[in-house]
Amino acid sequence: MRLEKCWFCSSTIYPGHGIQFVRNDAKIFRFCRSKCHKNFKMKRNPRKVKWTKAYRQLHGKDMTKDTTFEFERKRNRPERYDRNLTEQTLKAIPLITKIRHDRLEKHISNRHKPGKRKEMEKDSKELDQDIGMLPKKLISNEVTAEKTKIKVKVVQQQTEDNAMEE
Amino acid sequence: MAAFLRSKCPSVGRTLMGSLGNSLFGAANSSVEAVARPSHCDAISQQIRTFIQMRTNLKVVDNSGAKRVMCIQSLRGKKGARLGDTIIGSVKEAQPRGKVKKGDVVYGVVVRAAMKKGRSDGSEVQFDDNAIVLVNNKGELIGTRVFGPVPHELRKKKHLKILALAEHIV
Repeated sequence: MRLEKCWFCSSTIYPGHGIQFVRNDAKIFRFCRSKCHKNFKMKRNPRKVKWTKAYRQLHGKDMTKDTTFEFERKRNRPERYDRNLTEQTLKAIPLITKIRHDRLEKHISNRHKPGKRKEMEKDSKELDQDIGMLPKKLISNEVTAEKTKIKVKVVQQQTEDNAMEE
Repeated sequence: MAAFLRSKCPSVGRTLMGSLGNSLFGAANSSVEAVARPSHCDAISQQIRTFIQMRTNLKVVDNSGAKRVMCIQSLRGKKGARLGDTIIGSVKEAQPRGKVKKGDVVYGVVVRAAMKKGRSDGSEVQFDDNAIVLVNNKGELIGTRVFGPVPHELRKKKHLKILALAEHIV
């Protein structure tokens, strides 16, 4: 039993799933589901189809270089059965998967950071500039209090002087 | 429906029309998907792959001299032959100096079928075209070479000579 990779979307193909297409030059294309198979028949290039791993890795959306990928190599020589080795491998697999997943999430959130900061700046600027456009009811009492606090001082001394002069 | 498709896709290959024609006449229960808006490339690539029946053209992939054979009888199955089955065919096109001539009635073993064949591990295999290798009525090969990939389903059918001569076993 071997877990293959879908030629189109690069997801794992478990036993009992998918179709293998053999071309006349003996190249085998494996597909995980009919969606990928149909896209292949339409002659679409996976590097241009947004939801495939090939596109995402090509355009830097997902991480490409990581040590966790080294663990998943295609091995053609069968390993001699060793109970300890098998046990350790089976314990390690979910750990490695979790680490890879966490690193991938970090990569994606790092990618989003500068965009998020720009959004925040833009929003706060908009708030400062255009707060007057909102109806008075929506603006909280604190804000209206701040705005209405700025009062012009009435100068009364001058009028008294005028009166006194005359 | 056939006429409608024909008018929409003028450059559709012969096999599509042939297989649709066969499904209308023959006993094959091929499910014809109702395509709402058949665009040019959809109709060609979403071809319905069915059994190898009477009037099916097959490519000959050995050096026996024949190039194209038309199936006149499938020796297995009511609906038609699949991957690994034997058929009787009539040679439609042959090379000038070969072991078989045009018009000969020959037996052949299907080595590549465009219709998917299920394997015991649950996977399914599908080839690009329909191809046969010519055989005499005892099951011995007429040609001495086999071209292209060949499935290992032939091992179960005891066509070991074909597997031995094959370039690539899938």
